[in-house]
Amino acid sequence: MTEATVATSPRTAIFGKPDLASADGKAEILIAMQNIWKTYDMGSEKVHALHGVSFEVHRGEYLAITGPSGSGKSTLMNLIGCLDTPSQGDYWLNGKNVSEMDDDELARIRNQEVGFVFQTFNLLARATALHNVELPLIYGGIPGARRHEMAKQALTEVDLVDRMMHRPNELSGGQRQRVAIARALVNHPSILLADEPTGALDTATSYDIMNLFEKLHEEGNTIILVTHEHDIAARAHRVISIRDGLIEKDEQIK
Amino acid sequence: MRAGMPALQLEMTFIDIRESALMAFDTVRSNKLRSALTILGVSVGVITVVFMVSIIQGLNKAFAAQIESLGSNTIWATKFDPSIGHQPTSEEIHRKELTIADADAIRREAPSVVGVSPFYRKINETVRYGDKQSDTPILIGVTPYHEFTVSSYVARGRYVTDLDVEARNNVCVLGLDLVKALFPNEDPLDKDIKISGHQFHVVGVMEPLGSILGQSRDNSVYIPITTFEKYYPDIEFPEIISAIIVRPVSRAYVKSAIDEMTDILRKQRRVAAGAPNNFGISSQDALLDIYNQLTGATYLVLTAISCVALMIGGIGVMNIMLVSVTERTKEIGLRKAVGATRTNILSQFLIEAVVLTAIGGLIGLSIGELFSFLTNRYSPLPAYVPPWAIVVGIGISAGVGIIFGLWPAWKAARLDPIESLRWE
Repeated sequence: MTEATVATSPRTAIFGKPDLASADGKAEILIAMQNIWKTYDMGSEKVHALHGVSFEVHRGEYLAITGPSGSGKSTLMNLIGCLDTPSQGDYWLNGKNVSEMDDDELARIRNQEVGFVFQTFNLLARATALHNVELPLIYGGIPGARRHEMAKQALTEVDLVDRMMHRPNELSGGQRQRVAIARALVNHPSILLADEPTGALDTATSYDIMNLFEKLHEEGNTIILVTHEHDIAARAHRVISIRDGLIEKDEQIK
Repeated sequence: MRAGMPALQLEMTFIDIRESALMAFDTVRSNKLRSALTILGVSVGVITVVFMVSIIQGLNKAFAAQIESLGSNTIWATKFDPSIGHQPTSEEIHRKELTIADADAIRREAPSVVGVSPFYRKINETVRYGDKQSDTPILIGVTPYHEFTVSSYVARGRYVTDLDVEARNNVCVLGLDLVKALFPNEDPLDKDIKISGHQFHVVGVMEPLGSILGQSRDNSVYIPITTFEKYYPDIEFPEIISAIIVRPVSRAYVKSAIDEMTDILRKQRRVAAGAPNNFGISSQDALLDIYNQLTGATYLVLTAISCVALMIGGIGVMNIMLVSVTERTKEIGLRKAVGATRTNILSQFLIEAVVLTAIGGLIGLSIGELFSFLTNRYSPLPAYVPPWAIVVGIGISAGVGIIFGLWPAWKAARLDPIESLRWE
């Protein structure tokens, strides 16, 4: 880490903190990845999962990250979601340099800036939909009454407020994923980060969920979708393809 | 950004406790058998602690009460140094006896003293009346003050009087056990009995005195001290002992009474300045000290046993918590993903462990109380659960939760969120 920090300094001079209000009239820059490296020490050899990835995401974008397994796509997702820090390079999220943060600061950033949606939903089995949605607010220190209100609002957003007292095993797969999306939205995070959100759902339900993402995007949310399915990626407005730890393609498709 | 942190943290910790407690009850509910066994382990530990404490406290209380019943705040002067359970040294055996003259000196010269009574005591005296005989009574040679000094009074008839002492009369006052043994169907007053073959006239019967340390105090015969000397001119240890019992003005005067007695006895017995006392003085407090010294080791063993029992319960808690952490790896990953810090996770699992042990503690406390109640009721052992033991019991069980929950909770807190989320 120390080594990385030292190595980072000159590059910071090159890249530096991104200009939030960019000159070309586009929305502010929300994510700035600046020459990101991620190296895993596997004992005898060092494995470079990412070698020098740079890109920017503006507020309100709908971005898909695709790539085959082993491409470094999951590593990139973990970095974007602040579950991990890069070995080298700077990651600016909403004006904060995440790459230099410790565990507790990362937890706070995840709580406030990132809304996760997982392939397997990851709901607490014994808690109601409402309580599941409240979870990030609990760690955000939001008092009970306000928490309740915000969670209800998020469930309304995903059209499940009438099911809020149900437990996950009383809900269908699509409903569970919508609860998970409500949980991701409840804190009004900067980004919604969805990892194969339709991977465990049938086709019809997948479309419902993708429509929901579409709607959330139209409402102004920044969405980053990580998927290996091309038709799902095609629903996004911009697609970044990762291969062998590098950006292979970065294209605006809508 | 940092300015608002402490308040937020406090708020979060508070919310945390509720969330954690809910989570804990959830775990208990969804793993009923496993939780029940763990709780049982802690309960057994706490039952042991409560029960041991109740026995110790009960014995202490009973002993204190019995010491108290010897007469309020009496001070004993004896030939031997005060102790329980050690044989006197030959130096002690060869000391001069305490005499009636010594007692008189104390009565005359010690202002902190209201009653002085010298006495002789002989065990295993033979007492006969007609064809009935008792071989176990204790013969006590007393002065009239004895009754007052030790707060044991005559119930019917009269006690030994000054006249009896002066005239060395063969009169006696009987304890209740002897009345029952010798006069099952008769009134003992004004009867003549034989004590070691000498004829004595029964002039009084004592009130019931109860027992001390398992020895009946009703099994005594009181005769004038001078009459005792007449028949037993040579005092042979250990069958016969002599002592002076002194009653201070009040509890506050115990210390000064002891000081005065010491000075007087040293003068009476011609102890050279700087030489150690050739007599022993003990008060009830000193007796209690000796008792505590004697029983301290026993209590230490009992406490150690309780600790072992608690530890076994604690290991059970640690076991279930480790299983719980492993089972919920994915949940921990999720909680971390949505913003739980290490501290959050640590406190959640700690609280869960404490909830488990606190439930065990409450159950253990109730059963322990029940045990000591039953012991008190149906066995000769006195048992008493002092109010502080309840607080300590709950505290200890919570402590066990914290100590044995710490490692599993620390393990949970240190889990890597990425790995945990991937865990199946």
